[in-house]
Amino acid sequence: MNYAVLLVRNFSLNALRRADPALAAKAVALIEGEGRRATVVEVSPEAVGVAPGITAPLAMARCPGILLRQRDPVAESEAGRLLLAVAFTLSPRVEATGPGWVTVDLQGADAARTEGQMRCCVAELATAGLPVRIGAADTPHLASCAARCAQPVLVVRNSAAFLGPLPLAFAEPTPGQAAVLQGWGIHTLGDLTALPKAEIGQRLGTDGVRLWERAAGETTRPLRLTEPAKRFGAEWTYEPPIESMEPLLFRLRRFAECVALELRAEAFVAEKLTLTLLLEDETDYRRELRLPEPGADVDGWMRVFQAHLETVRTVARVVGARLVATPCRPARKQGGLFDAGLRDAAAYWENLARLGALVGEGRVGTPVLHDTHRPDAVLLEKPADAVPLPEAPPVHPPRGLALRRFRPAWAARVQLAGTRPVRVDSGLVAGEVRATQGPWLSSGDWWKPDAWAVEVWQVELEQGGLYQLAHSAEGWCVEGELD
Amino acid sequence: MPDALATEAGHLGMPALALCDRGGVYGAVRLHMAAKEAGIRALVGCELPMEDGTALPVLAATQAGYRNLCGLLTTANLRAPKGEGSVAWYELAAGNEGLVALTGDEHGPLRRAWRTRGCAAAAEAGLRLREIFGDERLYVELQRHLVPEEVEENEFLVDWARGAGLPLLATNGVLYATAEARRVADVFTCLREHTSLDAAGRLLEANSERALKGAAEMAELFADLPEAIANTSRLAARLEFTMADLGYRFPDFPVPEGEDQNSYLCKMTYLGAQQRYGSVEGAVRRQLDHELELIGKLGFAGYFLIVWDLCVFTRSRGILVQGRGSAANSAVCYALGITAVDPIAGKLLFERFLSEGRTDWPDIDLDLPSEGRREEVIQEVYRRYGRRGAAMTANVITFRGRSAMREVGKVLGLPDDVLDRFSSLFHSGDFPQSLQLEEQLRGAGIPPEHPRFRALVDTCRQVHGLPRHLGQHSGGMVLSAGTLDQFVPLENARMPGRSVLQWDKSDCEDMGLVKVDLLGLGMMAVLQDSLAICAERGQPVDLAHLPKDDAATFKLIQEADTVGVFQIESRAQMATLPRMKPATFYDLAIEVAIVRPGPIHGEAVNPYLQRRAGLAPVTYPDERMRPILERTLGVVLFQEQILRIAMELGGFSAAEADELRRAIGFTRSPERMQRMDARLRAALRRNNVGEEAIAHILKSLASFALYGFPESHALSFALIAYASAWLKVHRPAAFYAALLNNQPMGFYSAATLVQDARRRGVQTLPVCVQLSDALCRVETDQAIRLGLLSVHGVRAAAVRTLLEERRQRLFTSLADLLRRTDFTATERRSLAGAGAFNALAGHRRAALWKVEEVHEGDDLFRHAALQQDSSPGPLAPMQPLERVQADYAHLSLTTGAHPMKLLRAQMPDLWPAAELARAQPGTLVKIGGAVITRQRPGTAKGVCFITIEDETGLANAIVRPQLFEDSRMVINLEPALVITGRVQNERGVVHVLAESIAPLTGGGLPQQGSHDYH
Repeated sequence: MNYAVLLVRNFSLNALRRADPALAAKAVALIEGEGRRATVVEVSPEAVGVAPGITAPLAMARCPGILLRQRDPVAESEAGRLLLAVAFTLSPRVEATGPGWVTVDLQGADAARTEGQMRCCVAELATAGLPVRIGAADTPHLASCAARCAQPVLVVRNSAAFLGPLPLAFAEPTPGQAAVLQGWGIHTLGDLTALPKAEIGQRLGTDGVRLWERAAGETTRPLRLTEPAKRFGAEWTYEPPIESMEPLLFRLRRFAECVALELRAEAFVAEKLTLTLLLEDETDYRRELRLPEPGADVDGWMRVFQAHLETVRTVARVVGARLVATPCRPARKQGGLFDAGLRDAAAYWENLARLGALVGEGRVGTPVLHDTHRPDAVLLEKPADAVPLPEAPPVHPPRGLALRRFRPAWAARVQLAGTRPVRVDSGLVAGEVRATQGPWLSSGDWWKPDAWAVEVWQVELEQGGLYQLAHSAEGWCVEGELD
Repeated sequence: MPDALATEAGHLGMPALALCDRGGVYGAVRLHMAAKEAGIRALVGCELPMEDGTALPVLAATQAGYRNLCGLLTTANLRAPKGEGSVAWYELAAGNEGLVALTGDEHGPLRRAWRTRGCAAAAEAGLRLREIFGDERLYVELQRHLVPEEVEENEFLVDWARGAGLPLLATNGVLYATAEARRVADVFTCLREHTSLDAAGRLLEANSERALKGAAEMAELFADLPEAIANTSRLAARLEFTMADLGYRFPDFPVPEGEDQNSYLCKMTYLGAQQRYGSVEGAVRRQLDHELELIGKLGFAGYFLIVWDLCVFTRSRGILVQGRGSAANSAVCYALGITAVDPIAGKLLFERFLSEGRTDWPDIDLDLPSEGRREEVIQEVYRRYGRRGAAMTANVITFRGRSAMREVGKVLGLPDDVLDRFSSLFHSGDFPQSLQLEEQLRGAGIPPEHPRFRALVDTCRQVHGLPRHLGQHSGGMVLSAGTLDQFVPLENARMPGRSVLQWDKSDCEDMGLVKVDLLGLGMMAVLQDSLAICAERGQPVDLAHLPKDDAATFKLIQEADTVGVFQIESRAQMATLPRMKPATFYDLAIEVAIVRPGPIHGEAVNPYLQRRAGLAPVTYPDERMRPILERTLGVVLFQEQILRIAMELGGFSAAEADELRRAIGFTRSPERMQRMDARLRAALRRNNVGEEAIAHILKSLASFALYGFPESHALSFALIAYASAWLKVHRPAAFYAALLNNQPMGFYSAATLVQDARRRGVQTLPVCVQLSDALCRVETDQAIRLGLLSVHGVRAAAVRTLLEERRQRLFTSLADLLRRTDFTATERRSLAGAGAFNALAGHRRAALWKVEEVHEGDDLFRHAALQQDSSPGPLAPMQPLERVQADYAHLSLTTGAHPMKLLRAQMPDLWPAAELARAQPGTLVKIGGAVITRQRPGTAKGVCFITIEDETGLANAIVRPQLFEDSRMVINLEPALVITGRVQNERGVVHVLAESIAPLTGGGLPQQGSHDYH
């Protein structure tokens, strides 16, 4: 028993179910591809009659209530880290072989004790929502075959007897090899190894020989070891609990310095920082703060913390704090000669964080004109990291008077002669209309419940003043003044 | 749509309307016809797609202008892939006589230049237009759509026009007839730009102002520029050309010296009649003279001669040809060998084909063997008349239920899985649906509360029926004297070597363009191949002289043993045959015609069958109808009968009857049909026909408008149906071999045909490299050998090499064969898997083992190992089910036992199809097998018919609408089904009335092709 394999079958589906409690005990299938060509790749046991390989519409026909989902990379990543973490409890020599598949080098470990540990791992992962199977054998490949057959733990001692009846797919033939072997009527590893190895080599080449050897359990390979994820973080407590920001910031800086040092020692920088305040009432306050630029500069970090914490009011006193830095490799780039980057990115982002804390996330950004005919429609876009280059001047520069918009527009009562305004009354502007220009009509979003239509007039009042009026479903308003 | 534009223009009181389609005159005819109805003048124009990406509107002022326009478009289109043609500026400069240009909208050269490059560039673009069209034929186009951006642009246009001394012209850049259609324009913008409504932004229209506007509204809009309005009337008056002045002429036939078109036709007709009838006397002479006189009077002689000559050419190439349709009513066509039905013996109505006062051209359709041999004839027409002298008729593909939903849904941003679900639930051939669109959407997962539900439903309805793209008619070719591109622009078809014109069949008919239909018929190819096989085997068959009363043939027909037989092989036909029991050739013609939507809607089927079976008395709605309806037992089954009733009881003239015929066939205009209906009703009343009889006649008339057969057409098809049935009975091996060689065609897959052949005593032998030809071959009267090309993925060139090598010397071993041929690894595996190497290797697995010894790409040593080893190899032979699966994988059929036979033991509760006839009606049974057809005809009110096949034959199930809706996905998607239901047996026609339906899964049943919703 030199190797163990921890295997989560239907890993993507199980990871998805683990992340989404709504999928528990439901008929679920994971699909790949789009449109009518989408096919089922993994199926939950509840989806009776549905098998991998059938089309999504056929799956819906066979199991009317089935939920079809695409893969969730985030859920898979989390589940993968969990699996790795458990694997490291068996041995420090671990390979992340594939999604939901971890191989552990057990050479030198005590067999009896390890088998017990493997059962503990199964139980631990089951509690965390991941059904794992573990197989142990003399080679990584044999161990993976064992894991696929395990219920939930299987230790292979007689490899020939174990491999013989297994389906051919356990030897991982290429699609081309599988097609040829299927034509030959070869269905099990035993069927394949019953054929002369040399004849296989003659027909399927060296790849065929390797396949034969895998089927016979003759292959082994070195593991591509993975290291345990280094956690860059710190946690501390306050005794007595604190109520103001100064002591918090003080200790935060101390620990931040330590974390930054660790990061730099590993040639990492922080991509984001997660700060958790542990509160006296046993709740916590947790915020993830994305840095303007990945870095390990403690002053920059502290500006971000300070900007954010200024507005924080917790419901109870702070009894502890936890800081975790998400590491990444520092970006290496050569600036362009004419790049207009931010002079002080940290200050810029710090101000943005401060604004966001004041007015709310999602209400801070760069206004850009929305691509619509709807007048004065703007979107807030995430500010660019660099000042964009100026656009080419328009072919026809704006002419005439500029419109100074009233925000919000002034509600108005407008008298009409036919369709033309003849008098305007609003809180601040009132009078007879001397001249008009318009109407300008626009409408859109007819396919949405909030379809809109606007009629715009530009008017000159008898007593002077040029104004823009608009009429929509909400009534008339004075949109602004032309000057 | 041009019709909607014309109607709206009529409502608005406009005197004239010009249509400028981009890159063509696609809608010109429809506008012309609709404008006539609306009482306005339709002007012809086009937005020329220019080489710089701009679109220049031009209008045809004269016939010469129109011809120049067509020529420019044809030149542009024929040199570019479909839809990408553009006109070069120098070409426009050279060929613009008779054309008037406008500066265009935002896509026009002037405004495009102004917007992208400023005033100077715009002035330059304008100057180029002036140089081409001069000051007299160029108008500066102004549009006001009530958007602020247009003010400055229009100011520039006015200033520039005044500076250049050019007239202004107010237009509205109309994209749709009424404002409500703006959403359709938005949807089409998204489809064209491959985006969604949410992402389209300012690609969409700012408002709904690009609808037709009346004179007053336009005058108010351009109150400051009255001359721009006044110029519209002046321009309309200048544009003399309308589609009525097309000037089309059919080509003359080149006759020998001393002959003219009429005399030569007369000579050829009498020559042919001599051969057909023996002597030309009495009724024959009278009919021929009558027809020839009329043909001469109407000036159609050249047309008959050209079609005749085409038939002569076709036969000279050994290609079967037979005229169908109303041409079979003509003794001249029969004498010339164009048609094969003797209209005099059949007492057919000539006026159905041609009558005095008729202005449009007669319609002669020629049936030819499908595929290559038909293409030979088509290419001959191109060769004779040139690529610009002949073209295929277009076919306008419109948005239907599923395509409308998919496209609109996509544009509205609905998720793919919902649209997929809709498509899976509601098959395109499955319409009309038994559910409302709202309910269909709910079934597909879009509830009425969905925020875009209403928009989806409304827009789908608006889009339904609108043109989606231009296809190619199945065989209609238009010819002209001179070049055809003077009359209509031509463009490349998707199929290489073909050109297509921009109008569909109805447009051509409306414009008097003469069309010869060269239709490909799979069964003609089967007949041709069967005859060749029979002749080769020393059992020649003369189709023209088959006995028309062959008892064995009629027995086969009466027993509905008609899989593979032309026209009477469908489930519906098979269900009627045992009740109808055709016993004569004319019965067969009735059988062909009776299972059609027309007679079914007209409720003619059951009365006829009951009368025929003696279960109901033969009565006539009016005793005067007896001579007309006697042969069909008092029931109206054919179009000719309606026309004769109109003529004899209603006093219609031949010309009026012809108008009635056109109204029946003209499905586009229900109004036209209503008018004819009223006229006929009044005429019948005048002639004292009783109200009940009138109601009966008009009901028949209405149902023929849906789809009914002319008698002549039915007789022509019956000839082919009879010939195919005769061959199935008397030359079955040749018939099945020919059927297999012409797949796909007809109603059934090759797998079903092989099983049918087996039931009729013809064995299909497996493909064999030592014995098979490229195609299926008859070995004995009871056996056919599958061809090597039946194996999937095997190249014809590789098969040719094999046959050539085998001709020189038989293969002595598989190694010998592999050495002397050049099959790829995939082909070798396919042939081995299909059992084609069994004669050399012993069994399939041995062959599969052996063929892998050859390595690709190692030329020098690739066969080295093969020379040494002749052992069978270590692999065990395939088991029966494995062999069947391999057969289906490589051939899509099996020459062995039907797969269900192998599974029968596992499913003891399934009734074999052949046993159902013995079950007591009402017995609850379970049937199972591969689904070979699914049908839900519009006439069946939501009922679905499923045919499943097992090793004993075919079983038919009826699925009521509710069960269909409940099991829709299972029925539509599962390749094999188990159906539980009660047996119905009506005079030998056995059905299972389904009560539950489940997929037949497991057991390794291979997937079989099915014929669904056609």
